[in-house]
Amino acid sequence: MPLRRIFAITSILFLAVLAVSPLKNALRPYRGFQRAFARLGASRAKSLQAAKAYQQQPVAIHQIWLPDFENRVDRCTTCHLGVQDAAMTGAPEPFRLHAATYHTPKDIGRFGCTACHGGQGLATLEKDAHGEVADAGSPMVPLPFIESGCGRCHAAEKVAGAATLSLGRAALERNGCYACHAVKGHEAFRSEAPPIEAVGLKTGAEALRRWLKDPKAVDPNATMPRFQLSQAEIEELANYVFSLAPGRALADKVQAAGAEPAGDVAKGKAIFAEARCISCHTLEGKGNGSAPELSKVASRASAGWLLAFIRDPHAFNPRTRMPQFNFSADEARHVVAYMESEFKDFDAPKEILDPLRVNQTLAEKGKVLFRQKGCYACHDPGAAADRFGPALDGIGDKRAASLDFGKRTDIARTLPAWLEAKVKAPGSFQDGLKMPTFALSPKEAQAVVTALLSLGARPVPQAYRSTPAVRASLLPGGAVGALMDKYRCLSCHQIGDRGGDISTAPLTAEGSKVKQDWLVNYLVLSTTIRPILTDRMPVFRMTREEAAQIAQAFETFYLDPRIPEDPYAGQPATSRDPVEGKRLYDTLGCRACHILGAGGGYYGPPLTEAGTRLKPGWTYAWLKGPQKWRADVRCPNYGLSDASALQLTAYLDTLVKSSTASKAKQGGTR
Amino acid sequence: MNGNAFSLSQLGTLIRGSAVYRSIVRHGAADTNRNRSLVIFENLFLHVHPVKVREKTLKFSHTYWLGGITVSAMVVLIATGILLMFYYHPSVPQAYRDMKELKFVVDNGVFYRNLHRWAAHLMVLGAMLHMARVFYHRAYRPPRQFNWVIGVVLLLVTLLLSYTGYLLPWDQLAFWGVSVGTNMAKEAPILGPPIRFLLLGGNIVSENALLRFYVLHCVLLPASLIGLLGVHIWRVRKDGGVQGPPEPPADDEVEP
Repeated sequence: MPLRRIFAITSILFLAVLAVSPLKNALRPYRGFQRAFARLGASRAKSLQAAKAYQQQPVAIHQIWLPDFENRVDRCTTCHLGVQDAAMTGAPEPFRLHAATYHTPKDIGRFGCTACHGGQGLATLEKDAHGEVADAGSPMVPLPFIESGCGRCHAAEKVAGAATLSLGRAALERNGCYACHAVKGHEAFRSEAPPIEAVGLKTGAEALRRWLKDPKAVDPNATMPRFQLSQAEIEELANYVFSLAPGRALADKVQAAGAEPAGDVAKGKAIFAEARCISCHTLEGKGNGSAPELSKVASRASAGWLLAFIRDPHAFNPRTRMPQFNFSADEARHVVAYMESEFKDFDAPKEILDPLRVNQTLAEKGKVLFRQKGCYACHDPGAAADRFGPALDGIGDKRAASLDFGKRTDIARTLPAWLEAKVKAPGSFQDGLKMPTFALSPKEAQAVVTALLSLGARPVPQAYRSTPAVRASLLPGGAVGALMDKYRCLSCHQIGDRGGDISTAPLTAEGSKVKQDWLVNYLVLSTTIRPILTDRMPVFRMTREEAAQIAQAFETFYLDPRIPEDPYAGQPATSRDPVEGKRLYDTLGCRACHILGAGGGYYGPPLTEAGTRLKPGWTYAWLKGPQKWRADVRCPNYGLSDASALQLTAYLDTLVKSSTASKAKQGGTR
Repeated sequence: MNGNAFSLSQLGTLIRGSAVYRSIVRHGAADTNRNRSLVIFENLFLHVHPVKVREKTLKFSHTYWLGGITVSAMVVLIATGILLMFYYHPSVPQAYRDMKELKFVVDNGVFYRNLHRWAAHLMVLGAMLHMARVFYHRAYRPPRQFNWVIGVVLLLVTLLLSYTGYLLPWDQLAFWGVSVGTNMAKEAPILGPPIRFLLLGGNIVSENALLRFYVLHCVLLPASLIGLLGVHIWRVRKDGGVQGPPEPPADDEVEP
């Protein structure tokens, strides 16, 4: 009976084949990991009971389920068993305790793993979970870019505890990326590049050629990227720029300023220092660096233009961050005289600032080039309704398979590697790409990639989104708004989550913090508040009326309801006891950081005039928990009781400098 | 040991003597022709078979067992399909996720899924080869022409089952497979667009399409397949068994 024998043999074979699957099931790798973890835990346990607890853990799949977050299921903790176990500090992977960050390890149960790390949360096999297989979507986010995860929920420009992400977002803004690329939330972005019509008034043909060749070589602080332009293209663009007709009023201004007699160099030097120009500009690399390097500026801009620009910068470029200084006619001439004598490129040819004799044919070609290269995106942002480049929304979730790697066979076929190559050398993928080169440092490139990876395709659910505590409107309307715009408060200060980062003092709640009289004096003649900082508030030569107007507006608009107007209300009379407050001041060791009278450290602001400057409500609110107001501040939270905090407040409120008022008045009349 | 064997045989006698056992095994051992016939006659599942089959008619080279292979594949498909239905939700957020769950969490999930898939391939292949065999053996000729028609419909149902199952994983392959397939259907004159609309439950491959394909794949098509298969097998018997009726000699073979 051969048929029966075949039947018998195949049946047994079939049974054996069927047994393979249950066998594989029983030998799944995570089971081995869990047994190893139990052994490791038992060996590290401090007590017999703890050791037993490790050994008695049943072998099972662990998961973090987030029904309200896209129904995420993260099973990473099936193998990464020690992420929240303090006993697993420094243990070998996959059992190690999670690195300490603002949210980890305490919030792992709330956010899961894949929200930041990427990968495949559902998987229980290593390669699948880490996204190293074809059907996994995308591999895990490499650790240098891990802060992109913070940015998925935190939409603010600056995110505390995420330095790389914040740096990257700032770099995207500073380099004008949003001028060419649409990104949600940045629709209103306008580059501060000067309007192209007026450039011919400012500079000469040779200076412009050098600039177009490589802006960073001319000015290390330049935000304009380098376009790979041929000599012919540079010539065409230069001809186009000089063929444009600037406004009659501006041309007259520059011409008239150029005809004025030269000022006094020595006086100019003093005014230059006093106005604190290098709070924004640099001089031979020294200074803040968020505005142009000035050491060779007189070889890039004509004397007439410099003078006219300093007098009224917003007429030349309404988008510039430069505030208007109220120099008198003579003072401005002195400053320019100083610049003309010192801030020159002495190696440059004499005719560097000579204008170009325009060739119309070349100018026509330059006009076309100006559009083709996307120059208008920054220099004439109203010219087109759409952004020049592709939108970047959702780029953080783009599949590597949909990216064009072109000639770049040297990099990994992943989204982060592609983005990094793109921001470092945009033209390296193929010839004829339009994106220019931004001279990003490796650190900046890493930060920019982090910021780009944080732009997810789908918005994070509302419950997970972090919205800034105060979303103040930026500037009030009317005359005060115009004044604050004139002095460009937002170039340095933050209001809400917008504004510059040069100043450490946000204005969001300034009205609740400082006394109005002090603010008026400060605006008229700013004194140093924190001696440890190098960037100081410039002296604008504001009139007393203007200062009063701004201070009044702060008192009205920039308030925080969490800061009480009168902290003593409803408190016993003993809470106003400054003597007890002084005792607290001495015992808490405030003088380690604050100057008061003769001694004290200078890390924090001096408190000699605290009573003149600060409102008691703010002092009290600050003392109750400094970190509540600035997450990164080093001032310790002493956990003071209401009574103690009030007593200390009362003491600080008595610290008034008697001569302040008269001195400030003196400054105001200058 | 002896006592053990004794008690076992006692237990056997007890079971065989019980009313329940006797209601199931109604005829005792099939030791006489009559009893053998009764076993077939009185059984719903077996009565489509002839009572007696000559061994030589079951020769492998007569049928290559292709119909049997196809039916066996169908049995495997039904068994694994029911298991898969326990884990599968025909909804957009869940469908593809359930594929992952089968792979990562469900015990032997990958095995069931793969078994279902390979059995489906086998069933389509078997049905086609079966048809080819029937064609080349001229087994479609009278009196079996009706069963040939049933067979053609069965092949269509099998192909539709295969196609509707293709969408269910809700991955890129499925999505574009169904996009292309339904667009082809749309190109048919007059009836094309309404057929596509009917299949997809709308104008795009969306959640409605997924639900419709699921219902077709798990209810309508299997039900019609089983019904038609019953007729098919029943006709096999009515038309003279697997080997068919003895062929009348062709005209030119008749001796004068």
